[in-house]
Amino acid sequence: MNTVALIVDDEPHIRRALRNALADDFDKVLEASTASEAVDIAAAQRPDLIVLDLGLPDRPGQWVCAEIRKWSSTPIIVLSAHHAESEKIRLLDEGADDYITKPFSPAEFMARVRVQLRRARRAMVPGEDDVVHLGDLTIDPGARIVRRAEEEIHLTPTEWALLRAFLKNAGKTLTHQQLFGSVWAASSGDPQQYLRVYVANLRRKLEPDSVRPRFIITEPGVGYRFAIHD
Amino acid sequence: MTEDTHPGRYGPLPALLLWTALAAVATLALWAYRASLDQAHMALAYLLVVLGASAREGRLVGLFMAVLCFLLFNFFLLPPFYTFNIADPLEWWVLLSFLITGAVAAQLLHRAQRAVALAEHRAQEIERLAEEARHVEALREADRLKDAMLANVSHDLRTPLTSIRAAAAEMRQQGHEGAAIIEEEAQRLNRFVTDLLDLSRIRAGALPTEPALNAAEDLIGAALDRVRALPGAEAVRVMLPAGDDIPAGRFDFVQALRALVNLLENALRHSPPDQPVDIELTRGGGFLHFHVSDRGPGITAADRERLFEPFQRGSSATGRLGMGLGLAIARGTARALGGDVEWKPRDGGGSVFTLRLPAADVPGLS
Repeated sequence: MNTVALIVDDEPHIRRALRNALADDFDKVLEASTASEAVDIAAAQRPDLIVLDLGLPDRPGQWVCAEIRKWSSTPIIVLSAHHAESEKIRLLDEGADDYITKPFSPAEFMARVRVQLRRARRAMVPGEDDVVHLGDLTIDPGARIVRRAEEEIHLTPTEWALLRAFLKNAGKTLTHQQLFGSVWAASSGDPQQYLRVYVANLRRKLEPDSVRPRFIITEPGVGYRFAIHD
Repeated sequence: MTEDTHPGRYGPLPALLLWTALAAVATLALWAYRASLDQAHMALAYLLVVLGASAREGRLVGLFMAVLCFLLFNFFLLPPFYTFNIADPLEWWVLLSFLITGAVAAQLLHRAQRAVALAEHRAQEIERLAEEARHVEALREADRLKDAMLANVSHDLRTPLTSIRAAAAEMRQQGHEGAAIIEEEAQRLNRFVTDLLDLSRIRAGALPTEPALNAAEDLIGAALDRVRALPGAEAVRVMLPAGDDIPAGRFDFVQALRALVNLLENALRHSPPDQPVDIELTRGGGFLHFHVSDRGPGITAADRERLFEPFQRGSSATGRLGMGLGLAIARGTARALGGDVEWKPRDGGGSVFTLRLPAADVPGLS
C-alpha cells in the first residue's frame, strides 16, 4: 500500500526536517505552505497523515482542521508553540488527533506519528468490544470485566464509562471536555469538576504505579491520552 | 501643619529683633511728632507694624509685637508720659481696642496663611501624585513592551530551534561528533527563553492561571514524566498519604507542574547518584505539601537568604547548570497559585524543598 504524508508549514527548514524524518515511514511526502493549499492537496491526494503547523500566513490552523474533518478522518498532528494550551485544546476539539510542542526532536515526533498510523489502521477493523491485553491486565469490555493476572478488579459505572472512552480513542489525545462529554454526555456542573479525580481513581486501579502511569497519560493543561499503542 | 513654629524669613530671633527695631523707629517718629498727632493716628501706625510682623513672621511674632506696641504706645505716647499709668479712661479704650485689633489681625492672618499653605501643600501633593502616576504608567508601558518583546522572541526563537534540533539529530545519526552538542545547546537555549518569559510574567503578575480540581498524584506523575530523561529520575521514591481517598487541590495544573518540575530538577541535579530523591505528599492547614528531598550538599548560610532570587546559582553549585532561574520561578509560580515554596535543611544532610498548594475537599465518588 502506498502511504502518503502531508506537511503543512510555512517554514521551509521545518518542512525539510519533517520530510527527512517522515521519509523512512512514508512512500511519498507532500508539502503545503498555506492553509488553503493544505486543504486542496488533502482533498486531491487523500494523505494517510497530516502534520499541521499553527500560525500559517493565510488562515488559522483550526480552519484547516475543520475543513478536512468534513470529509476525512485522516490523523492530524498539530505542531504548536509553548504556552498555547488553549490553542491545542481548540484544535483537538476541532478534530486534531494529537499535538507536539516545539522544539521537538525527530525521534519524539516520529513516535507520535507511528501511534497515529497504528490507530488509523486499527480503526478500520471493527470490534469495539475486543478483549484488550495491557501487560498483565486483561480488559473485556463486552463482559465488563477487568483482571490483573487472575484477580478481578472492580470498577464503578463511571470508571467503566471512562475506560470505554479511553479504549475507543486509544492513542488520541482527549481534551477534558471531550472526555467529559463521552462519559456524562449532556449533564454538566458537579461531576465535571471531579473528572480528574475519577481518572486518578481509575489509574490507581489499573496502573501498577499510579505516579508512573503507562496507560493513562496526562497531557498537562489539555487532557489525557490512553497509550496502549505506544 | 507647623506654621506656629515656622521660623519666618529670618529665623525667630533675628525676626523679633528686626520688628522690635521697627517698632522702636515708629515710636521715635511718633514721639517726635506727638504734638501734631491724634492718638488714633498713632494706633494705626502701630497696627501697621503689628500686621507687617504677623504677615511676614507668623502669629507668635505678631502677638508679641501687638503686646510690645501696646506697651510702647502706653509708655511713650499716652499721658502721663513715661509711665504705664493712664489718665483718661477713654485712652484705656483706645489701647484695648488696639491690642484686640492687633491680636485678631494676627490670628486672621495666621489662618489665611494656613489656608494658603494647605492649598500649596495639596497642590504639591497632587503634582507629586500626578508625577507618580505618569511614572507608573511609563513603567507599565515598559513592562508591556518587554513582555510583548519576550513573547515574540520566545516564539521566533522556537521555530529556528526546532530546525536546528532536527538538523543536528540528522547529523548525529550520520555520525557527526559535534551534533549531539548542538542538540543539547539548542535545548538549553529553549529552556532559557522559556524561563525568562515565565519570570517576566511572574514579575508582571501576569501569569495566566486556570484553577481546577486536580489530583495530587496526577501532578507528581506528570512531573516525573517531564524529568524522566534526567539521571536519577527512575529512582525517585514517591510517598503518598495512606488511604483510598485521592488527595486533591484546586490549582492551575500547568503552572503547578512547572513549579514541581523545577524543584525536582534541582534535587536531581544536586543529589549524589547513589542517593535517591524523595517526593512526599502530606496534607495540612488547607494545603497540599509536596516535599522534595535530596541528599545534596544543602544550602550554605550565605546562600539561604537569596536562594529564591533569580540568577542565584549557589556557591556550591559547579559546572554549567542552567541559569539559576528555577527556584525563583518555582516560588513565583507557587505564590501566584496561592501557595508557596520553602526550603528546610534535611535531617542527615541535604535539602527539603516544599511546594505548598491549596487543597480541596473531594466527596466520595462512585
